[in-house]
Amino acid sequence: MIDALTPLALAETVDLLTSPSDITGVLIEGLAKGSLYLMIAVGLTLIFGLMDVINFAHGAFTMYGAYIAGVAVLALGVGSMGFIGSLGTFLIIMIVVFVLLAVLGVIFEVTLIRKLYEYPTIFMILLTFGITITMEELMRMIVEFRDINNGQWDIGWDSPRQATLPSELGGTIEIGFLNFTGLQLMQILMGVGVVVGIWAFLNKTRYGLFVRAGVEDEEMAKALGIDINRTFTAVFAVGSGLAGMAGVMLMWDPLWDVNVPLALAVLLPAFVIVIVGGLGSFKGTVVASFLVGLIDALGTWAFQTGVITFTDIDQLMIFAILVVMLILRPRGLFGVKGQGDHG
Amino acid sequence: MSFLELEGVHTYYGESHILEGVDLHVDEGEVVALLGRNGVGKTTTMRSIMQLTPPADGSIRFQGEELVGKDTYEVADAGIGWIPEERRMFGRLSVEENLRASVPDTSAMGESLEFAYDTFPILRERNDQRAGDLSGGQQQMLAIARGLIGQNDILLVDEPSEGLAPQIVADVGEALLEASDSVSILLVEQKLGLALDLADRYYVMDHGKIIDQGDTAGVTAEDEQLRRYLSA
Repeated sequence: MIDALTPLALAETVDLLTSPSDITGVLIEGLAKGSLYLMIAVGLTLIFGLMDVINFAHGAFTMYGAYIAGVAVLALGVGSMGFIGSLGTFLIIMIVVFVLLAVLGVIFEVTLIRKLYEYPTIFMILLTFGITITMEELMRMIVEFRDINNGQWDIGWDSPRQATLPSELGGTIEIGFLNFTGLQLMQILMGVGVVVGIWAFLNKTRYGLFVRAGVEDEEMAKALGIDINRTFTAVFAVGSGLAGMAGVMLMWDPLWDVNVPLALAVLLPAFVIVIVGGLGSFKGTVVASFLVGLIDALGTWAFQTGVITFTDIDQLMIFAILVVMLILRPRGLFGVKGQGDHG
Repeated sequence: MSFLELEGVHTYYGESHILEGVDLHVDEGEVVALLGRNGVGKTTTMRSIMQLTPPADGSIRFQGEELVGKDTYEVADAGIGWIPEERRMFGRLSVEENLRASVPDTSAMGESLEFAYDTFPILRERNDQRAGDLSGGQQQMLAIARGLIGQNDILLVDEPSEGLAPQIVADVGEALLEASDSVSILLVEQKLGLALDLADRYYVMDHGKIIDQGDTAGVTAEDEQLRRYLSA
């Protein structure tokens, strides 16, 4: 729109850029988005780092997590049980989803993925791609058969977020010039929790030590008596569980919808983050998640505050980051030569 | 019954036939050197024992137990330690983490670490450094320490002196000599003098087969026949 480029709009922009509440608002939004991206991408990184498996089914796990959580919050009536009760139930659902999808991950790893470790990568890509299509179509059958997304299911499906998000989380909290929603705060806390949890798993547990040893030199790890197959299974379980947990979180986020295409919608930013951070690097994924989150929030804000309105700018920003990174530093921020190599 | 016994071992890398029927044995408490020119199959022999490159035919028994068909980690659990060429540290793990990953029984962790540090005091000094930042000699110490604390009964040591300065080679030799008090060793070593110093017996390998063997007693690095076997 030509009008938007008049001097007045420019002045408004300058005004916005210098307003502390807007800047902090964008920062908080960026951290919240980054936390979600982190939860989506971190499982993918762990699995790739140890096993060299590019798991195309990762997004489908997130989608399943979102659906299971959506059904659970509606069925249990989360939102009508008071703030603490709702939040507690939500967290329990999150743990249950983590466990369910971790078990599903173990089943896939033991029965399917494991058969293909010795084969070229393309076999694994085809397999996980097949898994994701199967999972998506299976969910589509359930959704269409039960007519879930049209609100005609007997447990009263509308949109799980609208029906169950406690008002305390949806509402805005103001502290000084800080302006944020309870949900954003929860997402950031969740993101920090995931970082701390995985850091502790990798650095403070024996399994984590095996994982880091296996990432560097799988053959040597085996020769020291480490049952690397069992480690693979454990990591695939954790990665799948985390993907499901991300789905639970997305279910309440206003920018995401619980639907079958969610599987692909989360997979793309997850791949971007994993590549930007450096394939298989946990540290890289953490940094890249928040980087992408912040740039996404900044771009979305800059282009949607009246200067120019541009929908889907976030997708464009994310892929612009990928392109710039691939040109400047193809190995990613923390990529290491040989990371994920076998032998 | 021998401690470690290979009988008619045939191993392939893809289409190439590397081991063409290897027979050898190591008795308990023995140090046995495996000699031969480059590319005759010494490293492959060790990889075959570890089941990293599983043999297509033949038998590898350790304390009477057949190893062919087992997973590599099971071979390691049976008490066989591998100290490979170029050491293969986990370079981004700390020295202590490298050691911790090698101890199978966590209840023995403290005492295993103490043992490693007492044997190689330099590792104690550097315990929180990344293993990749150690010098070649220190990495070799760490590799040997990993083998020693892995509750192993035999160590397969591949080219321990490779790429090390002469003074460091002497230290490594000393360390292996000390290690041989508590474990058996199958040693691949290019430096004939060092190999003969350490070993009780030797085998000579050529083209994937054992072509000669004997006691090291009375054999020197100047031995005509041995030198002929080993010259390219």
